[in-house]
Amino acid sequence: MNPATFSYHTRRAAWLTPALFLLLLVLLPSTASAHVEKGNVGGFVSGFTHPLTGLDHIVAMVAVGLWGAFLGGRAMWTLPVVFPVVMAFGGALGVLGVPLPAVETGIALSGVILGAMVAFAARPPLWLAAVIVGIFAIFHGYAHGEEMPESANALTFAIGFVISTGLLHLGGIAFGLLVKWPWGRIAVRAGGGAIALVGFGFLFNFL
Amino acid sequence: MNFFPSRRTGLLPAAFLLLAFHSTAHAHLAVEGAGEIGNGALHPLVSPAHVMILLGLGLLLGQRLPLDLKKPMGIFALVSALALTLGTTWKIASVPLPVLIGAAMCIAITVALEWKPPLVAALGFCAAAAAGIGLDSGVESGTTAVIAKTLLGIWLSMNAVVAYTAICASNGADKPWARIGIRVVGSWIVAISLLVLAFSLRKG
Repeated sequence: MNPATFSYHTRRAAWLTPALFLLLLVLLPSTASAHVEKGNVGGFVSGFTHPLTGLDHIVAMVAVGLWGAFLGGRAMWTLPVVFPVVMAFGGALGVLGVPLPAVETGIALSGVILGAMVAFAARPPLWLAAVIVGIFAIFHGYAHGEEMPESANALTFAIGFVISTGLLHLGGIAFGLLVKWPWGRIAVRAGGGAIALVGFGFLFNFL
Repeated sequence: MNFFPSRRTGLLPAAFLLLAFHSTAHAHLAVEGAGEIGNGALHPLVSPAHVMILLGLGLLLGQRLPLDLKKPMGIFALVSALALTLGTTWKIASVPLPVLIGAAMCIAITVALEWKPPLVAALGFCAAAAAGIGLDSGVESGTTAVIAKTLLGIWLSMNAVVAYTAICASNGADKPWARIGIRVVGSWIVAISLLVLAFSLRKG
């Protein structure tokens, strides 16, 4: 690349991202309208914070990204693409009140299994990884859909909810990218172990 | 000189920005000092359902390489102009949300699957999206000049968002991570649409 072009490109890249996010922050104050409604029933903010209010959900979402990055290649994007879509399907079941047994157990197990997959550096075929992630996504989505406040604005709630979930995946992916380094590989596997322990905590009601 | 944002910095923050731009309740509030065209231009950006459709359509067109926006944007521009006019003259209050969300979901599925539809299908998506948003964006009251300027603003904004998103998306075609990002955004729109459709069914 021409050095001048590169320099221009770099300078442009340096200011554009902060500028876009600054613009985003300027726009976000409109979320304050969520407080007009009583309780935590607003739209975007309510949806955005929903996945962040349960440690069992957080660790599972992070584990999905972590495992995807750990597996590398197509898995890095397949799992985070599969998860939200299947989770939304589970959410739809929850919203519609379709019965699903052992939801909380499934959620706790997701932390255990996904964390263990990372901790033990399991490398199943991609389709199997996608199926495992998809099954757990249904439980997570169902729980969120079932708890979705009746009075919430469905569209803005869903937008906040999906973006929040996706950002948790991205956090997991970012952490998982440390596997490039030997010490990072240890850290990622340790992270997987910690997630599995949290899952056990929920499974046996320690947490 | 390329004035479009770089692939790395432009598309995903912009996508996040557009999705977070959620203040539906303010859709019909006028921004003081923005003028009719400015307020019209803001209209599609403050309706989440419209943003999802426009963003999805832009990504879909951007995935079709080599990028050729002449026919798709021509159809989109024509149908959106007609639909905006009809939406205003017929006094259509609004297109049902499930219809708009269903359209967004269909478009986003193709994006998430990275299915590059044939030209006829792409033109069909363009026409459907333009018709849905146009009919849903009719101006309800005002003098003829105010209505015309507002409609012009809406029309310009709709077309600019689709074209800009398509150009940004096509710029990322040679970067695996950018293609992944586009598919992830598509999957997010599908997920949002599924949840909203389910909620509509529950309420219905």
